[in-house]
Amino acid sequence: MVRRRTKLSALLTALVVVAPLGACASGSGSGEPTLMWYTNPDNGGQAEIANRCTQQANGAYRLEVSVLPRDAASQREQLARRLAAKDSSIDLMSLDPPFIPELSEPGFLAPIPADVATKVSQNIVKGALAGATWKGKLVAVPFWANTQLLWYRKSVAQAAGLDPATSPVTWQQLMDAVKKTDKFLAVQGAKAESLTVWINALVESAGGHILENPEAPAEQLKLGLDTPAGRAAANIIGTIGRENLGGPALPTADENASLTIFQGDRGSFMVNWPFVWSAMNASVQAGSLSKSVLDDVGWALYPQVNAGEQTRPPYGGINLGVGAFSHHTDLAFQAAECIVSPANQSYYFETNGNPPANTLAYDDPAVTKAFPMANVIEQSLEQAAPRPQTPYYNEVSVGLQETWHPPSSVNPDTTPQTSTAFITDVLHGNALL
Amino acid sequence: MTTEAQRAPSTAVQAPAKPRKVPKSDRAKAEARLGWYLAGPAFVVMIAVTVYPIIQAFFDSLYRYRLTAPSDKAFVGLHNYQVVLSDSLFWQSLGVTLFITVVTVAVEVVLGFGLALVMHRAVKTLRGLLRTAILVPYGIITVVSAFAWFYMFDITSGFINHWFDWVPGISENLNWFAQQGTSLFVICASEIWKTTPFISLLLLAGLSQVPTELDEAAVVDGATWGQRLRRVTLPNMKAAIMVAVLFRALDAFRIFDNVFIMTNGANKTTVLSLLAYRTSIVRLEIGLGSAISVLLFLCVIGICWLFIKLFNVDLASQRGEG
Amino acid sequence: MGAMSTRLKIGWAVITVVVLVYALFPVSSILATSFKLPSELNSGTFLPQHWTWTNYNQILGPNGTARDLFVPALRNSIGISLIATAIAAVLATLAAYAIARLDFPGKRLILTTALGVSIFPVISIVTPLFNLWRNIGLYDTWLGLIIPYLSLTLPISIWTLAAFFRQIPWELEQAAQVDGATTWQAFRKAIVPLAAPGVFTTALIAFFIAWNDFVYGISLTSTSRARPVPAALAFFTGASQFEEPTGAISAAAVIVTIPVVILVLLFQRQIVSGLTQGAVKG
Repeated sequence: MVRRRTKLSALLTALVVVAPLGACASGSGSGEPTLMWYTNPDNGGQAEIANRCTQQANGAYRLEVSVLPRDAASQREQLARRLAAKDSSIDLMSLDPPFIPELSEPGFLAPIPADVATKVSQNIVKGALAGATWKGKLVAVPFWANTQLLWYRKSVAQAAGLDPATSPVTWQQLMDAVKKTDKFLAVQGAKAESLTVWINALVESAGGHILENPEAPAEQLKLGLDTPAGRAAANIIGTIGRENLGGPALPTADENASLTIFQGDRGSFMVNWPFVWSAMNASVQAGSLSKSVLDDVGWALYPQVNAGEQTRPPYGGINLGVGAFSHHTDLAFQAAECIVSPANQSYYFETNGNPPANTLAYDDPAVTKAFPMANVIEQSLEQAAPRPQTPYYNEVSVGLQETWHPPSSVNPDTTPQTSTAFITDVLHGNALL
Repeated sequence: MTTEAQRAPSTAVQAPAKPRKVPKSDRAKAEARLGWYLAGPAFVVMIAVTVYPIIQAFFDSLYRYRLTAPSDKAFVGLHNYQVVLSDSLFWQSLGVTLFITVVTVAVEVVLGFGLALVMHRAVKTLRGLLRTAILVPYGIITVVSAFAWFYMFDITSGFINHWFDWVPGISENLNWFAQQGTSLFVICASEIWKTTPFISLLLLAGLSQVPTELDEAAVVDGATWGQRLRRVTLPNMKAAIMVAVLFRALDAFRIFDNVFIMTNGANKTTVLSLLAYRTSIVRLEIGLGSAISVLLFLCVIGICWLFIKLFNVDLASQRGEG
Repeated sequence: MGAMSTRLKIGWAVITVVVLVYALFPVSSILATSFKLPSELNSGTFLPQHWTWTNYNQILGPNGTARDLFVPALRNSIGISLIATAIAAVLATLAAYAIARLDFPGKRLILTTALGVSIFPVISIVTPLFNLWRNIGLYDTWLGLIIPYLSLTLPISIWTLAAFFRQIPWELEQAAQVDGATTWQAFRKAIVPLAAPGVFTTALIAFFIAWNDFVYGISLTSTSRARPVPAALAFFTGASQFEEPTGAISAAAVIVTIPVVILVLLFQRQIVSGLTQGAVKG
């Protein structure tokens, strides 16, 4: 019947029109190969570096950037699923260090040739090297390294009788100071990766490790929480939570909320990444933060857990991985070497606030001008301890977040045991997370 | 009604209940073929996108399979189901999901009924304005609603604490997303706000179909407004109400967007969909996650079956009748 | 209807205000947030102290940092939703026509299937679908989203259109033919004008459903090639990866709500009619 045929042909036409839309692929068909670099979101720095390296390559390759989701866990999700499906369009990836073992173990990352490994390991801060290594081999190219500093309001520190810039402070001293001056401690107590960062820094600073044998398979992983170090960490977190030393926002405070508290009337001490310096300067320029507050800000190394025992600050940042299924692994490594050159690293620090992993980059005077605390950052990175490097990092981290949150519920006598039991169950596949 | 009339000829054709099949007339065969040609594409698309994945999910649930450990993939039979069903997190999520379902549907039915009455009785001039206003929450993207409610109640960026600190229990220091109770309150509020319009429209349809003669007769008999509502309106709307409740219950049971955006499951607010998402997609444990997905699917089927068998909800006649 | 008593008028005025506040309050809240300066976002007030277009510049302006995330996402959302709506409308029209007019075995099966598909939890089918799409190359493409969107929109489209079509007096077609029109002319002149409003309303409802999707958007896409707006909101960033992009998200949320508000304003009568199965007309 006419009716039916007309309608059917309309349907077919629609489908024919639609199908090519889905099939059309991006990418140029011209001579030079295009390398896709999957990056975490930033202020445009990585895109600019990609342009610079494309120019420097002089036609050998074109480096293009594609942005991943905002938080590290989502970035890992995306990359893991695509690599598990042997995606050949992933040439370079900006990887958050804790997730590197998980991608390296099943062979999703292209092995780094020995000469490249030597070149990119020179002059790298210890923390960043540790974060790019798995089972004794370098599996990712160190790019930039992040660490948390202790930021403090000089007026408050003075009132409390502390001078963090000259002598190291301990967490206990900070807690007492905050009680004495009736202020809030700006720590990230939210149920997020930042909590794991905090726990790891505390446990490591007390001389312990969250995982005793991180390179073991899941069934044999042993946690080091039920130890004096773990108990010390639980004591600090629990006390801050119970005695309301972090304010009412503590259970949901992320890095940004911490900054807000620090800038406010009850601000005193804060542990946070260096982005806060750029953010505060930008606020002063925009007129929403008074210069007097900015002038009142001082910085020092991350607080110690036990007096006299060297602190192990948090380590974060980005290392570059090359996809194992890429068609241009050699070109990708060339591009990676260009991206992590000291000049590019200084540029990135200056403009995006992300500290270099390469010590040579800290010699750049422009860097010190933008970040007067650059040498403290460098020292912090030398002492920094990465979070446990295991392919099961996600389980460990989320397991910690489940059991060590909210901070007020953390008890040194029970939390280390319950979290150990729970995480072990999850790792053995006997519990849901 | 037309449905009845159309059903009659088909039964008439098959009425001679002989063991041998009665040969269909050519016309009936042509009609059957045409019917399948026209409805076939839609049928195929619906089946392909839903039936294949759920079967695949069932097969995946029988394996221990982690996406980043492909060499460890192994057949484990129903072990994943055993792990899930013996885990307190699963039952807690189920409990939270049921709680949200019951609370939101109960509030929405009451609120929706009120809105339906308003729209039913509104003066012509107001009708357009009211209906437009009510449709805005219906059309808004759920994620947008989640963000809007989240920002309103957030302790750092929201204004609710400032506006309502005269209410006992609410103060500047109340962190809505730090406890289970208050978090669930905001999640339910966002869900209720967004979906009440849809329920109110379903109820409005039912309300419009209550025969006016019954109502008028009750007025003549001297019944008050409340008595008319209880004795005349509601009983005649029973079927419409049950259908609305069933559809909303099925939707509420599958809640995801609001919880994902606002708390991501913190403070024991994990719901079943979020648990499945977290296990399959975040933890990359395909086997375990598929088991949760299959159980979620069975729960939804169960609710549907419960309503149809216990409450005699007749979906076909309700949704089919014009 | 005589003049309403003053008490009744006041009563209706109050009710109207209450309904308006209920419906529009969260929308106005996020609208106000979208005009706040990034540094003011934590001020805790409803209205901004300084009204600014900064957030909109960030997502739409030529120098906006989030522009490359938002504008392609908007394009994807519009394109995918429109195409999915169009295909759903066509398929549903065919199916509903068959269901309303013809008698064939399996009619009940199709309606039941539509009902069954509409209650499927999306989360349960996302991972297998991801694997399948990866294998046949539909991952991160428009078509890869359009097909699942069809499964979201077809059920309610079929049910709504079937209800509409049942109300059409099909005898008009035969009457026109008796008057001398050909089959096609009879269909076009007598039936199409009666069926068109139903198809249009169904398309509107289907569009709202496609526009609203979140789970498929975050699971079946990975780049700005196909990512729709609700999923892209997860990518928004402030000046650093730690900053909460409240302003940008609010601005994006407002932009993506504008089409909804316009459609609702223009077509509220049709939408209500469609959702109430034609029981409630103008």
